Amino acid sequence: MSSISLRGVSKTFPRPDGTALDVLGGVSFEAPDGSFSAILGPSGCGKSTILGLIAGLDHPTSGAILVDGRPVTGAAPRIGLVFQRPRLLQWRRLGDNVMLPIEREYSRDERESRARRYLALVGLEGYEDYYPAQLSGGMQQRAAIARALAIEPDILLMDEPFSGLDEMTARRMREELVRVWRETGKTIVFVTHSIGEAVFLSQQVLMICAKPAAVRRTASIDLAYPRAYGDPAMFEIETGLTREFLAMTEKRTVSDG
Amino acid sequence: MSWLHRSAAALVLLALWLVLALLLPNFVPGPVPVIGTMWGNIVSGEALEHLVPTLVRVGFGLSLTMVLGTLIGAVMGLSRVGELYLDSFVMVGLTVPAIVYGIICVIWLGVTDAAAVAAIGLAAFPAVAISVWKGIKGIDAELVAMGRAFRLSRREIVQKVIFPQLLPHMLAALRYALGICWKICTTVELIGMPNGVGYQLNFWFGLFSMEQVFAWTLLFLLVMFAIEYAAFKPIERHMTRWRGDAPLRLAV
Ligand SMILES: Nc1ncnc2c1ncn2[C@@H]1O[C@H](COP(=O)(O)OP(=O)(O)OP(=O)(O)O)[C@@H](O)[C@H]1O
Ligand SMILES: [Mg+2]
Repeated sequence: MSSISLRGVSKTFPRPDGTALDVLGGVSFEAPDGSFSAILGPSGCGKSTILGLIAGLDHPTSGAILVDGRPVTGAAPRIGLVFQRPRLLQWRRLGDNVMLPIEREYSRDERESRARRYLALVGLEGYEDYYPAQLSGGMQQRAAIARALAIEPDILLMDEPFSGLDEMTARRMREELVRVWRETGKTIVFVTHSIGEAVFLSQQVLMICAKPAAVRRTASIDLAYPRAYGDPAMFEIETGLTREFLAMTEKRTVSDG
Repeated sequence: MSWLHRSAAALVLLALWLVLALLLPNFVPGPVPVIGTMWGNIVSGEALEHLVPTLVRVGFGLSLTMVLGTLIGAVMGLSRVGELYLDSFVMVGLTVPAIVYGIICVIWLGVTDAAAVAAIGLAAFPAVAISVWKGIKGIDAELVAMGRAFRLSRREIVQKVIFPQLLPHMLAALRYALGICWKICTTVELIGMPNGVGYQLNFWFGLFSMEQVFAWTLLFLLVMFAIEYAAFKPIERHMTRWRGDAPLRLAV
C-alpha cells in the first residue's frame, strides 16, 4: 500500500566553484499505489537525483515528498532501490549480497531461499557462490535487481536497470518485471533513456526537461498488459512521444544557446 | 606452485651468501658456522632468554602503536579539523629518527621495558595513522548510500559495508608497523636494555664476533618469516579471495 507524491520538489547542489546549481526546479507528480511510472529525460537532467530523494538518501531544497501521504523518513515503507550502477559489495558472494538487506529479519534458511529465488528470477540461478568480480557487468546489474526484489518492497525505484544489457536479455527482464509487478502490486518508478522501454513498461510516462528540471508532460499509456513487442498501437504511441520529446529537448537547446 | 618459487628464492639467497663468504672470508662468515652458532645459542637456552623479552616488547609496542595510530588516523579521516591539526603532527612523527624516541623514553622512564614499549609505540604509530586515514578517505560513499537506501542500521553499515573496506588497510598497516617495531626495538635494546636481541647484537659487536652477529640476525629473520607465513599470509589470502583468479583486471 504505497503511493508516492512529489509536490514542487527542487534541489540545489553546490558547484565546484561554490555557486549553486539548480538541478530540480519544482518537480511534481503522483504515482498512485500499485502504479508503474516511467521517468524519461535527457542525461544529466536530475533523474537519479529524484530517485535518491524518494529513497530518502537526501533532502529536497524545497517542496515535499510524500510516501503514503507522509514525508519520507529513515524508517519509511520498504523501498527497493536499483542504482544506476550495481553497487554490490565486492567481498561478498552474490547470494550474500542479495541477502544483505534482510539479514536482520529472516532466518538463514529463509534468506537463502529468497536469494536463490530472486537470483533465478533475473536469470542467475547457480551463481550464488560467485564473487561480483567473477561476473560480467550486466550480470552484476541483474544481481542488484535481485537484491532490490528480495526485500519484497512496497516501492521499487529503478535507475536505468536494463541499460547495460543486450536487447534480448533486456526484453526478457522487462517481461519478468511486468509479471512481478502485476503479481505483487508494487508501486514502481522506473528511470530510462529509452522511449520504447517506457512505453512497453509503464502506465504513465513523466517527461522531464533539462535543468532546472520539471515534469513537462505526463503521458498515460492506456494499453492492456501483458504488452507485446511489435504491437502497432505501442509503436504509434512511441513515435508520438519521440516527436514530443525531440521537440522538448530541441527547444531547450535553442533557449540554452 | 608458489611454495616452489619461494623455496627457490631462499636457496638463491643462501647460495649468494655462500659465494660472498667464500670470496670475502674475513668479512662474511659462511652459512655453516653461522647456523651452527645459532643452533648452539638455541640449545644453550640463550636464544630464548633474549628472544622472549624482545618479543614481549615488540608485542606490547605494536599493540600500543596500532591503538594510537588507529585512533589518530580515524580522527584525521573523519574530521576535517582533525585532519588539519594532526596532519603536520603525524609528519613530524614520521620524520623524527626512531632513536630519538628511544633516547627520550629511556631518559624519562629509565632502563625499563616500559621505556622500550613507549619508544616503539611512539615511533611506529604515524605509519599506522596514515594508513587508517587513507583507508577512511577511500571508503566508497556510493556503497554507504546503498546501505542507507536499504535501511541497514548504523551498526550494520559500519560492520558490513565500511569495516571490510578498511580491513586491507589495517592489515597493511599492521604488517608495516611490525617491521618498524622490530627495528626500533633492537635499537632501543642496543642503547639501554639489559637483555634482548638488540642487547646481544651490541654485546657481540663489542667482541667483534661476526658469527654471533649473523647468528642473531638470522634468528630474527626466521622468527619474522614464521610470523609472516603463520599469520599474515593466510589472513591476506582469506581477505582477498573475492578478487578472483585474474591477478589484475584492468577492464571495468
Ligand atoms: N551530490 C551531488 N553534488 C553536486 N552535484 C550533483 C550531485 N548529484 C548530482 N549532481 C548534479 O545534478 C545533475 C543531475 O544529476 P543526475 O545524476 O540526477 O542526472 P541523471 O538525470 O540521472 O543523468 P543520467 O541519465 O546521465 O544518469 C548533474 O548536473 C549533476 O552534476
Ligand atoms: Mg542517472
